[in-house]
Amino acid sequence: MFIRLLRESFTRNPRRKLLTGVALVLGMTVATATFTVAVDVGDQLAREFRSLGANLLITPQADTLPIEIGGVDYRPIDQGAYLPVSDLPKLKEIFWGHNILGFTPFLDVPVTAAVAPNASAPQDFPATVIGTWYSHAMPLEDGTTFSTGASFTHPWWKIRGQWFADDSKNCVVGVSLAEKEKISIGYALDLTAAGRDSRATVTGIITTGDAEDNAIVCPLVVAQDLADKPGEFRQLFVSALTKPADALAEKDPNTMTPTEFDRWYCSPYISSIGHQIQQVLPGTQVQTIRRVAETEGRVLSRVSLLLWIVTIAALIAVALAVGATTATTAIERRAEVALMKALGATNFLVSGLFLSEQLFLAILGGGIGFLLGAGLARELGETVFGVATYPRFIVLPVILIAAAVVALIGSWIPLHRAANVSPAPILRGE
Amino acid sequence: MFKRLLFHLLRGNRIRLVVALVALTSGGAVISALLNLDLDINHKLSQEFRSLGANLVVSVPQIAASAAGTSALLDESALQTIAQTQLPGFVASPYLYIVARAGSNPGQSVVVAGTWLDAVTQIEPSWKITGNSSLSRDDLAHCFVGRNASRSLKLSPGSSFALSYQGHAANLTVAGIVDAGGSEDSQIFVNLPVAQQLASLDGKVQLIQLSVPGSTEQIHTVSAHLQSTLPMLEVKPIPQITDAEGQLLSHIRFLIFSTGLLILVLTALCVLATMAALAMERRKDVGLMKALGGSIRRVVRLFLAEVGVLGSIGGIAGYALGMALSIWMGHRVFGASISPRWEVLPVTVILMLFIALAGALPLRLLGNVRPAVILRGE
Repeated sequence: MFIRLLRESFTRNPRRKLLTGVALVLGMTVATATFTVAVDVGDQLAREFRSLGANLLITPQADTLPIEIGGVDYRPIDQGAYLPVSDLPKLKEIFWGHNILGFTPFLDVPVTAAVAPNASAPQDFPATVIGTWYSHAMPLEDGTTFSTGASFTHPWWKIRGQWFADDSKNCVVGVSLAEKEKISIGYALDLTAAGRDSRATVTGIITTGDAEDNAIVCPLVVAQDLADKPGEFRQLFVSALTKPADALAEKDPNTMTPTEFDRWYCSPYISSIGHQIQQVLPGTQVQTIRRVAETEGRVLSRVSLLLWIVTIAALIAVALAVGATTATTAIERRAEVALMKALGATNFLVSGLFLSEQLFLAILGGGIGFLLGAGLARELGETVFGVATYPRFIVLPVILIAAAVVALIGSWIPLHRAANVSPAPILRGE
Repeated sequence: MFKRLLFHLLRGNRIRLVVALVALTSGGAVISALLNLDLDINHKLSQEFRSLGANLVVSVPQIAASAAGTSALLDESALQTIAQTQLPGFVASPYLYIVARAGSNPGQSVVVAGTWLDAVTQIEPSWKITGNSSLSRDDLAHCFVGRNASRSLKLSPGSSFALSYQGHAANLTVAGIVDAGGSEDSQIFVNLPVAQQLASLDGKVQLIQLSVPGSTEQIHTVSAHLQSTLPMLEVKPIPQITDAEGQLLSHIRFLIFSTGLLILVLTALCVLATMAALAMERRKDVGLMKALGGSIRRVVRLFLAEVGVLGSIGGIAGYALGMALSIWMGHRVFGASISPRWEVLPVTVILMLFIALAGALPLRLLGNVRPAVILRGE
């Protein structure tokens, strides 16, 4: 009997249900789409922030004070400590190794350079050679290769011409130095440092807005060869995907309780990633590049907070609108309630009938809304970040419950009122 | 007659009215809050990005420096010229670097940066300074020491040490230890006159760093403007900061904008469905009025007037609520207030009016139906 009544109600007047259904579908679409975006936005934006470059700097611990002005280290080659390149694959083996998106070693060598062959007037000039990787395929322990270098950690470097291959004897010259010494693409440079020399062909002119504008950038092996430091480097820039710092991340790991420490260690905070790098690369000092990390953390937490507030505000507005629709359709059916009561139905049966009707609508509307919303969130992710946002199935029960609650509350109030009034006046239409 | 009918309609069923108003107001609130926020967000976010540090550098061009045969130094007077341009919200700080010896003989080589200690902490808000972080630019007795330098020179806040450079010496007290996570960590920061006196380079600086708020285009405009007022010098944006910032800002803005648009459209549709449900309910009234001899046109006009009133009240109330919401959001998210904008009011009211009227459209279709059928409730 109950089920028959329910079926009757849907088949006899579908248009009436349609509006409540449409409102529910639309409302739940907003809810799903904004919810999915708000959940995912942190991860996506953190990836975007890597265009700011490295957020960790690794230097040897037993180092003398670098005499570094404008990004160039003026210490002689024989002063200060170095780090081995052969240790670098370990970076990908730390707990959060997957979050290490790239790293680039640097080795600065002061040299005397000359444009060769320059038979007319071989003029020497002092310069700094910066040895680095541009795009380097590094074999890892597990047999795969990891591609890294300045193209990942310094994406703002602009080049006219071509980058060197990492095993070649080529170099690129900073724009200011090229202008000053009148160096063009295709020239060969003779580089001399403490008795060792090398000849490199200029393949490009770079603009970085930093020390490299006044230097010669060459493959790391060339600089190692000039400095007589095979397989070593002085500075490592690491670009890691991190989570904005919160109260836990600000704490000193030494004062944490064991559970706190585990939670900290297993969260991709910049401090915990730095700690893990320090563990696999003993004898190094891992510094957070605060300028980058701080900005990233601030902007990320603000944008996600903003999106969450907007999402919640939209959810409340939608809930009110959907509730209003259900209320409207419920008011309309007061006569039906009255008739049922007049024919002897109990309050319990009447409310049960109407509420299960709403529940059915809510689940149907919520389900369709979830599918639509997931599609919209996917589109949004693709247009904004170029990466599709995957639907989260954890959202589905939340959406269904929200839809049911909104629909039930919306219809409960008018129906409750109707149920308490005596049938006769309502049937008369008063 | 028309007015009286309208008045009665509005008074007739309070619950129904309240329900419609709730839907319209909440929709209007979200829409106006989003619109108000979107107008302000660019400015607020670019302010956040200033913790990246300086984005413009003024220096002597390389060519001129090598031609003159001297190291590239510029006159301190350029700072006054920059100050006179009166750019809104910018901070400038000069830099003069020397490699001095710290401690007693022979001491350790360390990079000493002569700057304005009050301006430098403003340009680099990301610096973590332990100790006293507020020094005036006239304080010649105190300095900031980088983290690594403090460790290697065994200095802590309050301790004093000597700096010497080519026969000149200066005694300084450490005010704070700087943690920057870069080359600054191995430097000592003193006020400009101290470095100038040590190097006997009165009135000279090496470069000037500027932190200019605004979008990438605005920064390039400022850069071009400064270049024209300082023709002898080179003004360069720092691409790491400006490019990345511009790209990130446009992505974030697009994200917020498109999420906002999505919410806007769907909320509007949702309110529309509510209004349509409300209109459907009025079928009986339409039928009755028709039966009593009202022309369908007149009847529909009456109902349109009703929803029009509802729409405008909902729009205005929504605007008020939305402004309160966006002000609260501004405080909560950015810690700064977002001023309400009047241009959002007409947009919200017109939008809500439009939605309310569009919701009433089904009434027109009902005009064709015979009154008797509707009155019987079929």
